[in-house]
Amino acid sequence: MSKQTRAFDNKKLVGELFTLTYGALVSQLIKDYEKDEEVNKQLDKMGYNIGIRLVEDFMARSNMGKCQDFRETADVLAKMAFKMYLNITPTIANWSPANDEFSLMLDNNPLVEFVELPEDRSKLNYSNVLCGAVRGALEMLQLEVEAWFPRDSLKGDNVTELRIKFIRKLTDALPAGED
Amino acid sequence: MQEDATNVLFELLHDELISYVYSNDIDMKSKQISILESHGFRIGQSLAEQLTKDSSRFKDELEIMKFVCRDFWSAMYQKQVDNLRTNHQGVYVLQDNCFKLLKRISSGKQYLEFAPRFLAIPCGFVRGALANLGINSIVTAEVISMPAVKFQIMIQRV
Amino acid sequence: MTIHLLHIYDRNGNSLFAKEWSRKKSSNLTKVEEQKLLFGMIHSIKSFVTKMSPKDGKEGFISYTTSRYKIHFYESPTGLKFILLTDIFVGNIRETMKKLYSSVYVEFVVRNPLCPLNEPIRSSLFETKLETFMTGLSFFEDSN
Repeated sequence: MSKQTRAFDNKKLVGELFTLTYGALVSQLIKDYEKDEEVNKQLDKMGYNIGIRLVEDFMARSNMGKCQDFRETADVLAKMAFKMYLNITPTIANWSPANDEFSLMLDNNPLVEFVELPEDRSKLNYSNVLCGAVRGALEMLQLEVEAWFPRDSLKGDNVTELRIKFIRKLTDALPAGED
Repeated sequence: MQEDATNVLFELLHDELISYVYSNDIDMKSKQISILESHGFRIGQSLAEQLTKDSSRFKDELEIMKFVCRDFWSAMYQKQVDNLRTNHQGVYVLQDNCFKLLKRISSGKQYLEFAPRFLAIPCGFVRGALANLGINSIVTAEVISMPAVKFQIMIQRV
Repeated sequence: MTIHLLHIYDRNGNSLFAKEWSRKKSSNLTKVEEQKLLFGMIHSIKSFVTKMSPKDGKEGFISYTTSRYKIHFYESPTGLKFILLTDIFVGNIRETMKKLYSSVYVEFVVRNPLCPLNEPIRSSLFETKLETFMTGLSFFEDSN
Protein backbone atom coordinates (compact mmCIF):
# COMPACT_ATOMS: atom_id res chain seq x y z
CA MET A 1 0.00 0.00 0.00
CA SER A 2 1.35 3.35 -0.97
CA LYS A 3 -1.11 5.09 1.30
CA GLN A 4 -0.79 5.25 5.01
CA THR A 5 -3.84 5.27 7.19
CA ARG A 6 -4.11 8.85 8.26
CA ALA A 7 -4.99 9.84 11.74
CA PHE A 8 -7.96 12.14 11.58
CA ASP A 9 -9.26 14.40 14.20
CA ASN A 10 -12.23 12.15 14.73
CA LYS A 11 -14.00 14.35 17.22
CA LYS A 12 -13.93 17.18 14.70
CA LEU A 13 -15.13 14.97 11.90
CA VAL A 14 -18.06 13.60 13.86
CA GLY A 15 -18.96 17.18 14.70
CA GLU A 16 -18.92 18.03 11.02
CA LEU A 17 -21.01 14.99 10.19
CA PHE A 18 -23.56 16.22 12.71
CA THR A 19 -23.51 19.80 11.40
CA LEU A 20 -23.88 18.69 7.79
CA THR A 21 -26.72 16.33 8.65
CA TYR A 22 -28.47 19.16 10.45
CA GLY A 23 -27.99 21.34 7.38
CA ALA A 24 -29.59 18.62 5.27
CA LEU A 25 -32.55 18.47 7.63
CA VAL A 26 -33.12 22.22 7.58
CA SER A 27 -32.78 22.35 3.80
CA GLN A 28 -35.42 19.64 3.48
CA LEU A 29 -37.80 21.57 5.74
CA ILE A 30 -37.21 24.80 3.84
CA LYS A 31 -38.07 22.95 0.68
CA ASP A 32 -41.24 21.49 2.17
CA TYR A 33 -42.57 24.53 4.03
CA GLU A 34 -42.98 28.04 2.74
CA LYS A 35 -43.50 29.63 6.11
CA ASP A 36 -40.55 30.06 8.45
CA GLU A 37 -42.86 29.62 11.42
CA GLU A 38 -43.71 26.12 10.20
CA VAL A 39 -40.04 25.23 9.80
CA ASN A 40 -39.35 26.54 13.30
CA LYS A 41 -42.18 24.43 14.66
CA GLN A 42 -40.91 21.29 12.96
CA LEU A 43 -37.38 21.89 14.20
CA ASP A 44 -38.64 22.35 17.72
CA LYS A 45 -40.65 19.15 17.50
CA MET A 46 -37.69 17.17 16.20
CA GLY A 47 -35.51 18.68 18.89
CA TYR A 48 -38.02 17.49 21.46
CA ASN A 49 -37.87 13.95 20.09
CA ILE A 50 -34.08 14.08 20.25
CA GLY A 51 -34.10 15.59 23.74
CA ILE A 52 -36.25 12.91 25.33
CA ARG A 53 -33.82 10.22 24.17
CA LEU A 54 -30.63 12.18 24.62
CA VAL A 55 -31.38 12.85 28.28
CA GLU A 56 -31.35 9.10 28.93
CA ASP A 57 -27.98 8.79 27.24
CA PHE A 58 -26.75 11.74 29.28
CA MET A 59 -27.87 10.15 32.54
CA ALA A 60 -26.31 6.83 31.58
CA ARG A 61 -23.00 8.53 30.80
CA SER A 62 -22.80 11.06 33.57
CA ASN A 63 -24.23 9.01 36.42
CA MET A 64 -25.91 12.22 37.59
CA GLY A 65 -28.90 12.45 39.86
CA LYS A 66 -31.64 15.00 39.66
CA CYS A 67 -30.69 18.64 40.08
CA GLN A 68 -31.59 20.32 43.36
CA ASP A 69 -32.59 23.65 41.86
CA PHE A 70 -32.81 25.55 38.59
CA ARG A 71 -29.35 27.08 39.08
CA GLU A 72 -27.84 23.63 39.16
CA THR A 73 -29.87 22.70 36.07
CA ALA A 74 -28.35 25.65 34.22
CA ASP A 75 -24.87 24.59 35.27
CA VAL A 76 -25.30 20.98 34.23
CA LEU A 77 -26.80 22.01 30.88
CA ALA A 78 -24.02 24.42 30.01
CA LYS A 79 -20.98 22.75 31.51
CA MET A 80 -21.83 19.12 31.00
CA ALA A 81 -24.54 18.51 28.39
CA PHE A 82 -23.55 21.15 25.82
CA LYS A 83 -19.91 20.30 26.38
CA MET A 84 -20.45 16.59 25.99
CA TYR A 85 -22.64 16.61 22.89
CA LEU A 86 -21.73 19.81 21.06
CA ASN A 87 -18.24 20.39 22.42
CA ILE A 88 -19.03 23.95 23.45
CA THR A 89 -19.51 25.51 26.88
CA PRO A 90 -22.01 28.35 26.71
CA THR A 91 -21.82 31.12 29.28
CA ILE A 92 -24.73 31.33 31.68
CA ALA A 93 -26.07 34.88 31.86
CA ASN A 94 -29.02 37.17 32.47
CA TRP A 95 -30.66 35.41 35.41
CA SER A 96 -34.10 36.80 36.15
CA PRO A 97 -34.54 38.21 39.69
CA ALA A 98 -36.76 35.26 40.59
CA ASN A 99 -34.10 32.79 39.41
CA ASP A 100 -36.55 31.18 37.06
CA GLU A 101 -35.11 32.33 33.77
CA PHE A 102 -31.59 32.36 32.34
CA SER A 103 -29.72 32.52 29.06
CA LEU A 104 -27.07 30.36 27.49
CA MET A 105 -24.74 32.49 25.39
CA LEU A 106 -23.34 30.49 22.48
CA ASP A 107 -20.14 32.17 21.39
CA ASN A 108 -19.77 29.72 18.61
CA ASN A 109 -22.69 27.65 17.51
CA PRO A 110 -21.60 24.41 15.82
CA LEU A 111 -24.95 24.10 14.02
CA VAL A 112 -24.31 27.15 11.87
CA GLU A 113 -20.70 26.50 10.92
CA PHE A 114 -21.37 26.41 7.18
CA VAL A 115 -24.55 28.47 7.09
CA GLU A 116 -25.72 31.75 5.73
CA LEU A 117 -29.38 32.57 6.11
CA PRO A 118 -31.14 33.36 2.82
CA GLU A 119 -32.59 36.89 2.72
CA ASP A 120 -36.17 35.73 2.33
CA ARG A 121 -35.94 33.52 5.40
CA SER A 122 -35.67 36.24 8.01
CA LYS A 123 -38.02 34.59 10.49
CA LEU A 124 -36.25 31.25 10.40
CA ASN A 125 -34.73 30.21 13.71
CA TYR A 126 -32.08 28.02 12.22
CA SER A 127 -30.97 26.43 15.49
CA ASN A 128 -34.47 25.88 16.84
CA VAL A 129 -33.75 22.19 17.30
CA LEU A 130 -31.81 23.19 20.42
CA CYS A 131 -34.92 24.75 21.99
CA GLY A 132 -36.85 21.55 21.47
CA ALA A 133 -34.01 19.37 22.70
CA VAL A 134 -33.63 21.34 25.94
CA ARG A 135 -37.39 21.36 26.44
CA GLY A 136 -37.67 17.61 25.82
CA ALA A 137 -34.72 16.67 28.00
CA LEU A 138 -35.86 18.78 30.95
CA GLU A 139 -39.43 17.54 30.64
CA MET A 140 -38.14 14.03 31.25
CA LEU A 141 -36.64 15.39 34.47
CA GLN A 142 -40.03 16.79 35.41
CA LEU A 143 -39.21 20.37 34.58
CA GLU A 144 -41.49 22.15 32.16
CA VAL A 145 -39.63 24.96 30.47
CA GLU A 146 -39.93 27.31 27.54
CA ALA A 147 -36.89 27.84 25.36
CA TRP A 148 -36.33 30.31 22.54
CA PHE A 149 -33.70 32.41 20.76
CA PRO A 150 -34.07 36.12 21.55
CA ARG A 151 -30.84 36.81 19.67
CA ASP A 152 -29.14 34.95 16.86
CA SER A 153 -25.80 35.73 15.24
CA LEU A 154 -27.20 34.40 11.95
CA LYS A 155 -29.59 37.34 11.99
CA GLY A 156 -26.92 39.90 12.60
CA ASP A 157 -26.94 39.93 16.40
CA ASN A 158 -23.52 39.95 17.97
CA VAL A 159 -24.27 36.85 20.00
CA THR A 160 -26.54 33.82 19.95
CA GLU A 161 -28.67 33.70 23.05
CA LEU A 162 -30.76 30.71 24.07
CA ARG A 163 -33.26 31.75 26.73
CA ILE A 164 -34.73 29.15 29.08
CA LYS A 165 -37.69 29.86 31.34
CA PHE A 166 -38.93 27.63 34.11
CA ILE A 167 -42.69 27.08 33.91
CA ARG A 168 -43.51 24.43 36.51
CA LYS A 169 -42.50 21.19 38.11
CA LEU A 170 -44.29 18.20 36.66
CA THR A 171 -45.52 15.26 38.68
CA ASP A 172 -45.81 11.66 37.58
CA ALA A 173 -49.26 10.61 36.58
CA LEU A 174 -50.48 7.41 38.10
CA PRO A 175 -52.28 4.85 35.99
CA ALA A 176 -56.04 5.09 36.33
CA GLY A 177 -57.56 3.30 39.27
CA GLU A 178 -54.44 3.40 41.40
CA ASP A 179 -55.59 5.64 44.22
CA MET B 1 -13.59 3.03 25.05
CA GLN B 2 -16.85 4.90 25.40
CA GLU B 3 -18.49 6.08 22.23
CA ASP B 4 -18.18 9.75 21.39
CA ALA B 5 -21.24 11.60 22.65
CA THR B 6 -21.60 13.70 19.48
CA ASN B 7 -22.09 10.43 17.63
CA VAL B 8 -25.18 9.72 19.67
CA LEU B 9 -26.48 13.13 18.74
CA PHE B 10 -25.74 12.45 15.07
CA GLU B 11 -27.62 9.16 15.20
CA LEU B 12 -30.66 10.75 16.83
CA LEU B 13 -30.66 13.49 14.22
CA HIS B 14 -30.28 10.91 11.46
CA ASP B 15 -33.31 9.07 12.87
CA GLU B 16 -35.34 12.29 12.98
CA LEU B 17 -34.51 13.08 9.36
CA ILE B 18 -35.67 9.62 8.37
CA SER B 19 -38.90 9.70 10.32
CA TYR B 20 -39.63 13.18 9.03
CA VAL B 21 -39.17 12.15 5.41
CA TYR B 22 -41.28 9.05 6.02
CA SER B 23 -44.02 11.02 7.75
CA ASN B 24 -44.56 13.13 4.66
CA ASP B 25 -47.35 12.24 2.33
CA ILE B 26 -45.37 10.71 -0.44
CA ASP B 27 -47.00 7.72 -2.03
CA MET B 28 -43.91 6.14 -3.49
CA LYS B 29 -41.44 4.49 -1.18
CA SER B 30 -38.63 4.89 -3.68
CA LYS B 31 -39.11 8.66 -3.51
CA GLN B 32 -38.39 8.73 0.20
CA ILE B 33 -35.30 6.59 -0.20
CA SER B 34 -34.06 8.84 -2.97
CA ILE B 35 -34.60 12.03 -0.93
CA LEU B 36 -32.57 10.55 1.93
CA GLU B 37 -29.95 9.18 -0.43
CA SER B 38 -29.37 12.56 -2.02
CA HIS B 39 -28.90 14.18 1.39
CA GLY B 40 -26.37 11.47 2.18
CA PHE B 41 -24.67 12.16 -1.14
CA ARG B 42 -24.03 15.82 -0.32
CA ILE B 43 -22.84 15.03 3.18
CA GLY B 44 -20.54 12.27 1.91
CA GLN B 45 -19.07 14.62 -0.66
CA SER B 46 -18.19 17.27 1.92
CA LEU B 47 -16.74 14.80 4.35
CA ALA B 48 -14.59 13.07 1.75
CA GLU B 49 -13.34 16.51 0.83
CA GLN B 50 -12.28 17.08 4.43
CA LEU B 51 -10.67 13.68 4.69
CA THR B 52 -8.61 13.84 1.53
CA LYS B 53 -7.70 17.50 1.82
CA ASP B 54 -4.05 17.01 2.56
CA SER B 55 -3.36 13.69 0.96
CA SER B 56 -1.89 12.94 -2.41
CA ARG B 57 -3.90 11.64 -5.33
CA PHE B 58 -4.91 8.03 -5.38
CA LYS B 59 -3.14 5.67 -7.74
CA ASP B 60 -6.20 3.85 -9.06
CA GLU B 61 -9.80 2.92 -8.43
CA LEU B 62 -8.89 0.11 -6.04
CA GLU B 63 -6.89 2.52 -3.92
CA ILE B 64 -9.93 4.75 -3.66
CA MET B 65 -12.07 1.78 -2.62
CA LYS B 66 -9.56 0.90 0.04
CA PHE B 67 -9.70 4.47 1.27
CA VAL B 68 -13.48 4.22 1.55
CA CYS B 69 -13.25 0.89 3.38
CA ARG B 70 -10.64 2.02 5.86
CA ASP B 71 -10.42 5.76 6.39
CA PHE B 72 -13.88 6.86 5.39
CA TRP B 73 -15.56 4.03 7.27
CA SER B 74 -13.45 4.60 10.39
CA ALA B 75 -14.27 8.26 10.37
CA MET B 76 -17.99 7.67 9.98
CA TYR B 77 -18.55 4.49 11.92
CA GLN B 78 -15.40 3.99 14.04
CA LYS B 79 -14.67 0.67 12.40
CA GLN B 80 -13.48 -0.57 9.03
CA VAL B 81 -15.35 -2.49 6.38
CA ASP B 82 -14.89 -6.21 7.07
CA ASN B 83 -14.57 -7.39 3.51
CA LEU B 84 -14.03 -5.85 0.09
CA ARG B 85 -14.61 -7.78 -3.12
CA THR B 86 -14.61 -6.87 -6.77
CA ASN B 87 -15.39 -8.60 -10.05
CA HIS B 88 -12.74 -6.41 -11.71
CA GLN B 89 -15.42 -5.09 -14.03
CA GLY B 90 -16.53 -2.12 -12.03
CA VAL B 91 -18.53 -3.82 -9.32
CA TYR B 92 -17.36 -3.67 -5.73
CA VAL B 93 -19.00 -5.22 -2.70
CA LEU B 94 -18.28 -3.80 0.73
CA GLN B 95 -19.38 -6.02 3.55
CA ASP B 96 -19.85 -4.67 7.05
CA ASN B 97 -20.75 -7.48 9.44
CA CYS B 98 -21.94 -5.17 12.17
CA PHE B 99 -23.15 -1.96 10.62
CA LYS B 100 -23.24 0.81 13.19
CA LEU B 101 -26.63 2.24 12.31
CA LEU B 102 -28.31 -1.16 12.56
CA LYS B 103 -26.54 -2.79 15.45
CA ARG B 104 -28.91 -1.49 18.13
CA ILE B 105 -32.01 -2.20 16.08
CA SER B 106 -31.89 -5.91 15.54
CA SER B 107 -29.78 -9.00 15.31
CA GLY B 108 -31.62 -11.13 12.83
CA LYS B 109 -34.80 -10.62 10.91
CA GLN B 110 -36.91 -8.55 13.29
CA TYR B 111 -37.57 -5.09 11.80
CA LEU B 112 -35.91 -6.22 8.54
CA GLU B 113 -38.51 -4.34 6.50
CA PHE B 114 -37.23 -1.10 8.05
CA ALA B 115 -33.59 -1.69 7.12
CA PRO B 116 -33.72 0.19 3.77
CA ARG B 117 -34.61 3.50 5.38
CA PHE B 118 -31.58 3.30 7.68
CA LEU B 119 -29.30 2.52 4.75
CA ALA B 120 -30.42 5.23 2.33
CA ILE B 121 -28.26 7.97 3.80
CA PRO B 122 -25.22 5.67 4.21
CA CYS B 123 -25.53 4.64 0.53
CA GLY B 124 -25.51 8.33 -0.31
CA PHE B 125 -22.43 8.81 1.87
CA VAL B 126 -20.52 6.27 -0.21
CA ARG B 127 -21.72 7.62 -3.55
CA GLY B 128 -20.87 11.16 -2.43
CA ALA B 129 -17.42 10.23 -1.20
CA LEU B 130 -16.66 8.45 -4.47
CA ALA B 131 -18.02 11.36 -6.53
CA ASN B 132 -15.71 13.68 -4.66
CA LEU B 133 -12.81 11.44 -5.72
CA GLY B 134 -13.93 11.49 -9.33
CA ILE B 135 -15.89 8.25 -9.53
CA ASN B 136 -19.51 8.13 -10.64
CA SER B 137 -21.37 5.22 -9.20
CA ILE B 138 -24.64 3.68 -8.14
CA VAL B 139 -24.66 2.39 -4.58
CA THR B 140 -27.22 -0.03 -3.18
CA ALA B 141 -27.40 -1.97 0.05
CA GLU B 142 -28.55 -5.45 0.82
CA VAL B 143 -29.43 -6.92 4.20
CA ILE B 144 -30.26 -10.53 4.79
CA SER B 145 -29.83 -10.59 8.52
CA MET B 146 -29.17 -7.51 10.62
CA PRO B 147 -26.81 -5.95 11.50
CA ALA B 148 -24.73 -7.21 8.53
CA VAL B 149 -24.91 -5.14 5.33
CA LYS B 150 -23.52 -5.56 1.84
CA PHE B 151 -23.03 -2.31 -0.01
CA GLN B 152 -22.77 -2.81 -3.74
CA ILE B 153 -21.02 -0.18 -5.79
CA MET B 154 -21.46 -0.14 -9.54
CA ILE B 155 -19.03 2.19 -11.25
CA GLN B 156 -20.68 4.23 -14.00
CA ARG B 157 -18.30 4.86 -16.86
CA VAL B 158 -19.45 7.35 -19.40
CA MET C 1 -29.00 -17.13 44.83
CA THR C 2 -31.83 -16.63 42.40
CA ILE C 3 -33.55 -14.00 40.33
CA HIS C 4 -37.29 -14.43 40.15
CA LEU C 5 -38.57 -11.57 38.05
CA LEU C 6 -37.87 -8.20 36.52
CA HIS C 7 -40.32 -5.44 35.86
CA ILE C 8 -39.76 -2.14 34.06
CA TYR C 9 -42.26 0.72 34.26
CA ASP C 10 -42.30 4.13 32.66
CA ARG C 11 -42.72 7.27 34.75
CA ASN C 12 -46.47 7.01 34.65
CA GLY C 13 -46.62 3.44 35.82
CA ASN C 14 -47.22 1.83 32.47
CA SER C 15 -45.57 -1.53 32.24
CA LEU C 16 -42.84 -1.55 29.58
CA PHE C 17 -41.39 -4.96 30.15
CA ALA C 18 -41.70 -7.96 32.43
CA LYS C 19 -39.86 -11.21 32.57
CA GLU C 20 -39.81 -14.15 34.92
CA TRP C 21 -36.91 -16.51 35.45
CA SER C 22 -37.50 -18.99 38.20
CA ARG C 23 -40.81 -18.54 39.82
CA LYS C 24 -42.35 -21.64 41.26
CA LYS C 25 -45.51 -20.14 42.64
CA SER C 26 -47.74 -17.71 40.83
CA SER C 27 -49.51 -14.82 42.52
CA ASN C 28 -52.85 -16.05 41.17
CA LEU C 29 -53.45 -12.63 39.72
CA THR C 30 -53.82 -11.78 36.09
CA LYS C 31 -50.71 -10.27 34.55
CA VAL C 32 -52.27 -6.85 34.34
CA GLU C 33 -53.52 -6.96 37.94
CA GLU C 34 -50.14 -8.03 39.21
CA GLN C 35 -48.40 -5.29 37.24
CA LYS C 36 -50.74 -2.66 38.60
CA LEU C 37 -50.57 -3.85 42.18
CA LEU C 38 -46.80 -4.15 42.12
CA PHE C 39 -46.44 -0.65 40.77
CA GLY C 40 -48.98 0.75 43.21
CA MET C 41 -47.22 -0.84 46.15
CA ILE C 42 -43.78 0.36 45.07
CA HIS C 43 -45.15 3.82 44.46
CA SER C 44 -46.69 3.96 47.95
CA ILE C 45 -43.60 2.60 49.68
CA LYS C 46 -41.41 5.04 47.79
CA SER C 47 -43.42 8.10 48.71
CA PHE C 48 -43.91 7.04 52.32
CA VAL C 49 -40.22 6.19 52.76
CA THR C 50 -39.34 9.67 51.52
CA LYS C 51 -41.92 11.28 53.84
CA MET C 52 -40.63 9.45 56.88
CA SER C 53 -36.99 10.29 56.26
CA PRO C 54 -35.55 12.40 59.08
CA LYS C 55 -33.13 14.00 56.61
CA ASP C 56 -33.29 15.05 52.99
CA GLY C 57 -31.63 12.37 50.96
CA LYS C 58 -31.20 11.68 47.31
CA GLU C 59 -32.05 8.04 47.38
CA GLY C 60 -34.99 6.84 49.37
CA PHE C 61 -36.39 3.38 48.85
CA ILE C 62 -33.81 0.86 47.67
CA SER C 63 -35.08 -2.58 48.67
CA TYR C 64 -37.25 -4.52 51.06
CA THR C 65 -36.94 -8.06 52.30
CA THR C 66 -39.46 -10.62 53.46
CA SER C 67 -38.64 -14.04 54.81
CA ARG C 68 -38.96 -15.44 51.29
CA TYR C 69 -37.86 -12.83 48.79
CA LYS C 70 -36.29 -9.43 48.29
CA ILE C 71 -37.42 -6.59 46.06
CA HIS C 72 -34.79 -4.24 44.63
CA PHE C 73 -35.86 -0.90 43.26
CA TYR C 74 -34.02 1.55 41.03
CA GLU C 75 -35.47 4.69 39.54
CA SER C 76 -33.56 6.57 36.86
CA PRO C 77 -33.46 10.38 37.10
CA THR C 78 -35.91 10.32 34.21
CA GLY C 79 -38.42 8.34 36.24
CA LEU C 80 -38.04 4.87 34.76
CA LYS C 81 -38.57 2.23 37.39
CA PHE C 82 -36.74 -1.07 37.53
CA ILE C 83 -37.99 -3.68 39.95
CA LEU C 84 -36.11 -6.90 40.49
CA LEU C 85 -37.38 -9.71 42.68
CA THR C 86 -34.69 -12.04 43.99
CA ASP C 87 -34.21 -14.44 46.86
CA ILE C 88 -33.12 -12.99 50.20
CA PHE C 89 -29.45 -13.80 49.86
CA VAL C 90 -28.74 -11.15 47.24
CA GLY C 91 -27.04 -8.13 48.81
CA ASN C 92 -27.04 -4.50 47.70
CA ILE C 93 -27.21 -4.48 43.90
CA ARG C 94 -27.64 -0.75 43.32
CA GLU C 95 -24.77 -0.63 40.81
CA THR C 96 -26.13 -3.63 38.94
CA MET C 97 -29.52 -1.96 38.67
CA LYS C 98 -27.93 1.22 37.34
CA LYS C 99 -26.01 -0.80 34.83
CA LEU C 100 -29.16 -2.53 33.70
CA TYR C 101 -30.55 0.92 32.96
CA SER C 102 -27.47 2.41 31.31
CA SER C 103 -26.04 -0.47 29.34
CA VAL C 104 -29.14 -2.44 28.45
CA TYR C 105 -32.16 -0.13 28.48
CA VAL C 106 -30.45 3.01 27.17
CA GLU C 107 -28.36 1.10 24.63
CA PHE C 108 -31.05 -1.10 23.17
CA VAL C 109 -34.31 0.75 23.72
CA VAL C 110 -33.48 4.45 23.82
CA ARG C 111 -31.00 4.11 20.98
CA ASN C 112 -33.21 1.91 18.86
CA PRO C 113 -35.24 4.33 16.74
CA LEU C 114 -37.88 1.64 16.23
CA CYS C 115 -38.61 1.37 19.96
CA PRO C 116 -41.12 4.01 21.07
CA LEU C 117 -40.24 5.09 24.61
CA ASN C 118 -43.68 4.87 26.14
CA GLU C 119 -44.85 1.55 24.77
CA PRO C 120 -44.13 -2.02 25.82
CA ILE C 121 -40.72 -3.11 24.56
CA ARG C 122 -40.97 -5.48 21.60
CA SER C 123 -37.37 -5.61 20.48
CA SER C 124 -35.98 -9.12 20.58
CA LEU C 125 -32.45 -7.71 20.52
CA PHE C 126 -33.24 -6.00 23.82
CA GLU C 127 -34.47 -9.31 25.22
CA THR C 128 -31.35 -11.10 24.08
CA LYS C 129 -29.08 -8.46 25.59
CA LEU C 130 -31.07 -8.45 28.80
CA GLU C 131 -30.84 -12.22 29.05
CA THR C 132 -27.07 -12.06 28.55
CA PHE C 133 -26.83 -9.38 31.20
CA MET C 134 -28.93 -11.24 33.74
CA THR C 135 -27.46 -14.68 33.25
CA GLY C 136 -24.01 -13.12 33.54
CA LEU C 137 -24.72 -11.79 37.02
CA SER C 138 -22.94 -13.57 39.84
CA PHE C 139 -26.21 -14.11 41.67
CA PHE C 140 -28.10 -15.52 38.72
CA GLU C 141 -28.86 -19.16 39.13
CA ASP C 142 -30.97 -21.02 36.68
CA SER C 143 -32.98 -23.40 38.77
CA ASN C 144 -35.48 -24.27 36.07
